[in-house]
This record gives sequence, C-alpha cells and structure tokens, in this order.
Amino acid sequence: MDAAVWSAFAISAQVAVGATLACAVPATLVGYWLARTRSAWRGVVDTCCALPLVLPPTAVGFLLLALLGVDGPLGRAGFDVLLTRGGAVVASAVMAFPLVVRGAKNAFESVEPRLERMGESLGMSRALVARSITLPLARRGLLAALVLGFGRALGEFGATLLVAGNLPGETQTMALLIWEDIQLGRDDRALTLVGLTAVLAFAVLFFADRLTRRHAEEAR
Amino acid sequence: MKCRVRLPLADFAVDVDVETSARAVGVFGASGAGKTSLLECVAGWRRPASGRVEVNGRVLFDDAARVDVPRADRGVGYVPQDGLLFPHWTVERNLRAAARGRGVPEDALATAIEVLELAPLLARDVATCSGGERQRVALGRALASKPDVLLLDEPLGALDRPLRRRVLPYLVRATRAFDLPLLFVSHDATEVQAVCDHVVVLERGRVVAEGDPASVLGAAERAGTDFENLLSGTVRVGEDGCALELGGGVRVEVPARDAIDGAPGLYGLRADDVLLAREAPRGLSARNVLEAVVEALDADGQDVLATARLVGAGDPAEDVAGPNTDASQRAPRLRASLTAASVRELGIAAGARVFLVFKTQSCHRLG
Repeated sequence: MDAAVWSAFAISAQVAVGATLACAVPATLVGYWLARTRSAWRGVVDTCCALPLVLPPTAVGFLLLALLGVDGPLGRAGFDVLLTRGGAVVASAVMAFPLVVRGAKNAFESVEPRLERMGESLGMSRALVARSITLPLARRGLLAALVLGFGRALGEFGATLLVAGNLPGETQTMALLIWEDIQLGRDDRALTLVGLTAVLAFAVLFFADRLTRRHAEEAR
Repeated sequence: MKCRVRLPLADFAVDVDVETSARAVGVFGASGAGKTSLLECVAGWRRPASGRVEVNGRVLFDDAARVDVPRADRGVGYVPQDGLLFPHWTVERNLRAAARGRGVPEDALATAIEVLELAPLLARDVATCSGGERQRVALGRALASKPDVLLLDEPLGALDRPLRRRVLPYLVRATRAFDLPLLFVSHDATEVQAVCDHVVVLERGRVVAEGDPASVLGAAERAGTDFENLLSGTVRVGEDGCALELGGGVRVEVPARDAIDGAPGLYGLRADDVLLAREAPRGLSARNVLEAVVEALDADGQDVLATARLVGAGDPAEDVAGPNTDASQRAPRLRASLTAASVRELGIAAGARVFLVFKTQSCHRLG
C-alpha cells in the first residue's frame, strides 16, 4: 500500500475519532432527554435529530456550507473550518449524531427509571444519580452507540466532500480516495481501499453488536 | 400522619383521607386497590392531583400551599416490592447509598447490618443474592439512610410463603429496633397484624375500613394467611423452659430455641392448633392450658372461628375484667377453629368460660 493510502487511513481515523468525541456529549444529553422527557416536543426533536439519516449527505453538506460559509452565521462568527480537517470532523459529526442519539436513547430507556427515583429518595442529587446510577448502567449501550457513530464517521463521504473538499494529506479520507481512484481508473488501489474499509466496518459492527447484546443481558 | 390524597389512575381515582397518631400504619387491600400509588405519593414518586401529605409534623406535599418537597429532601426510607437494589453495586455499596446522598452517620448502618444479619452478605454482588436476602438488603438500605419515615410496599410480596415466614422476623425486629413512623402496604393480614398498630383498608382507591388491625382485618381476610393468632410479649427464659409474657398476667410457653431472656418476642399460632375444653383438662402433654372467656363465634359453613379473651393468673374473668372494662380491652385474645358440631355438643356460646389448649411447639417464632 502506498503513502496516499496510509495518509487517507490516518486522516479517516483522526476525523472519525474527532467526530465521535465531538458528538458524544451532546448526543448523550439529547438521548437522555428523549428517553426521560414527557414533553410534547419530544417527537419533533427526535425527528429533527434523525434527519441526517434520511437526507442525502450532499443536502446536509449544503446546509453546513450555508452555516459555515463566509456569509453563514457561524462563518461570520469566526468559525472558519471550510476546506480543513476540522471541517471534515464537523461534517462527519453531524452525520454520526443521529446514530449516537438513537443508541444513547435506547441505552437510557433500558435503565429502570425507578432506580433513579430510589437514588433520589436516598438523598442523592440528580447529578449524583446520573453519575453513579444512570451512566454506569447505560455504559455498554452508550459505548455501542459511540462505536456505531465512529463507524458512520469513518465512512462519511458526501457532506465531507462539500465541507472539507478532497485535499490529499489534509482532508482526503479513505472514502474520498476511493471515489478519486475510481474517477481516475486506479481500480486496483480502489479495490484495496474497499477491502480495508470493509474489514474496518465489519470490526466496528461486530464490536457494537457484542456491546449491545451484553447491555441487553445486563438490563434484563 | 395526615394523608389526604386525590390521584386519578386509569380505572379509578385514589381518594384517601387518613389522619392517625399511630406509629405503624398498615395499608391493606387487594392487588390494584391503589396501595402502591398512595405510598408513591408520600415518597414523591407520584404527584397527587390534589391533597396534603404530612408526616411527623412535616408537610411533604400541599397543593393549596404549593408545597412539593423534592424526593431527595423528603427523608423517606422506601422499600418497594422488588427491593430495587442497584444491580451494579455490591451489597455494602447499596447499604452505603444514602451515605453518598445524605451523609448519614455510620451507627445507623451498623445497626441495620446487625439487626438484619447482613454482615455475611456485604461483599457480594446483589445479583448473587436470593430473594429473601435482597429484601433484607433493601430494608437495610432504607434503614441505614436514617429516614424520618419508613415506607414498606409489600416488602415480602415477591417471596413465596415459606421465605416470607423466614424474612418476616427480620422485618418485625428491624421496625422495632429503629422505632420509626411506618407506612406498611400489604395484602397479607398476618404481616399487617405483626407490624402495624393501625390499619387502613383500601378498595379501588377508597378507604372502606380503618382501625385496630386485629378487629378490622376480619375472618375473610385472615383466611388463607399463615397465622390467625399473633402472640406478642416479653420472652422469659428459665431453667424449666421458655415463656412469653403477654400482659394481663398471661404467660404462654413457647419453644426455647434462639430465645433471649427479656427480649421482645412475636409468635404465630394457627387457630387449627388450638383446642377448646369446657373443663380444665388434666394429664395432658400440652404445656399451654389457658382459661378464657368466649367473646364471639364466627360461622363459616361447617367451621366456626371462636374468639376468646384470655384470663390472667388470679383474674376472676367475668367479675374483674368484664367485656367492657379497660382491662378486658387490653387482655390478649386467641382464636380457635372448631367444627359446628363441636360448638353444638359442648354448648359453647358467647360469654362461656373455656380452656384453650395448645402445644409449645405450635407457637412459631416470627420475631
């Protein structure tokens, strides 16, 4: 494998890790809120969070361009990440966000809410209940959600291309390199990259599935 | 305890208004009568549509005054039917849960561990504990939180009958050791009588009876429970055996095993194990022959449940402790199961002087 493949692999890994970390806290909070709230807004928020799953990635990328561009609200506020690796992280995080929210919501829903009430009845604050009861009991499900989000970010293409471009050594991920190789007729290297990404995707899904099963067994 | 609660449920509304100075209040009723919902209102797990909850002189909820004390500040020790132990913690960490929240002193924890005999379980994961052990841990956790009031929601309900029999003594001992105001939900009349000194009977969310457990929980509810008679008193261990002083000069011989001289004791006795004689029997192996006056005969088909007031040593029954005197109100009572034919042939009627006979081994220690 040549240097371009290793470079794309390293950038993909960095972007996927960054995207997973970026969406971990907000997606966990939103997942918890969705699992516990009785608000009338629950359905609307749940649907909005799932939108990146069904919208074409190019549409999401276009919306991100509108937000992050020089005329966009975030661009004007000095958040300049277009055509950078940070932009790739942002695009991947947005695409991974729905999967992490879904997984987190399922993980929290599997934690018996009465255990939280019992913690409060024993004098614990809500923050202490969340830290010492809810999060530990949901941890495997949360980890599975983050692993799935990592996998989604690893394979992200459309939104990343629009926001971060395809700059070798800077924003060129494996997905983008496969696309470029096919465009330029470098089928052998494209096949190698496809094999590599398939192995990674299998490992991620297998790991996430094992975590989810163990979480379900614990919750029973 | 003052509890006025209105809480609409799917099929009916819990509409309760109870005010009592009793320390241990039982809430008795069939499944689905609204007992748990009432308890959850006191614990702050449910918000009543309206009402006022006052425990120990402290208002926990009052919709008119817009008072709704947060769960963490209510000072309740809650034991639900399933124990609700934290599954990812050991027994000891569960017991110390309140210390993380309220910072309770170690002595409450130490007392709970001692009274409930939890020391051998401390290092175990709760997943490895049996049903009875889990309930003891749940009770210990509630007591170790040094609550202002103890809420017990059918704490033995998830256990089978033999296991309930083994765990009930712990429950009785613990509630006595901590001497806390208590709200005890159960559909088992024996448990309510063992633990409570006042009972409220709920039916579809409404109070249908209230008062002293022995008188309120009638024969219908008592049928099918473990013991019709609960003997509560002070244990006296001597060279010639072990006795339970019931008060009013009445002593009952009980098994000596595990008995501690001077300790409070609670024993169960089945009505089927009590014989009834018109004259003082002689030459019997049974150690308990107690003089009594029949107060009531409740017929149920061919069976009759006789309730008799025991007469203490030197107490000439009718003359000194007549049916309406204070002494007679305080006198212990026993129930004996007879056939209608026996009642007829012996000529037993209310007011008749009789002798109640039962073996020492028929008394089963509950606490």
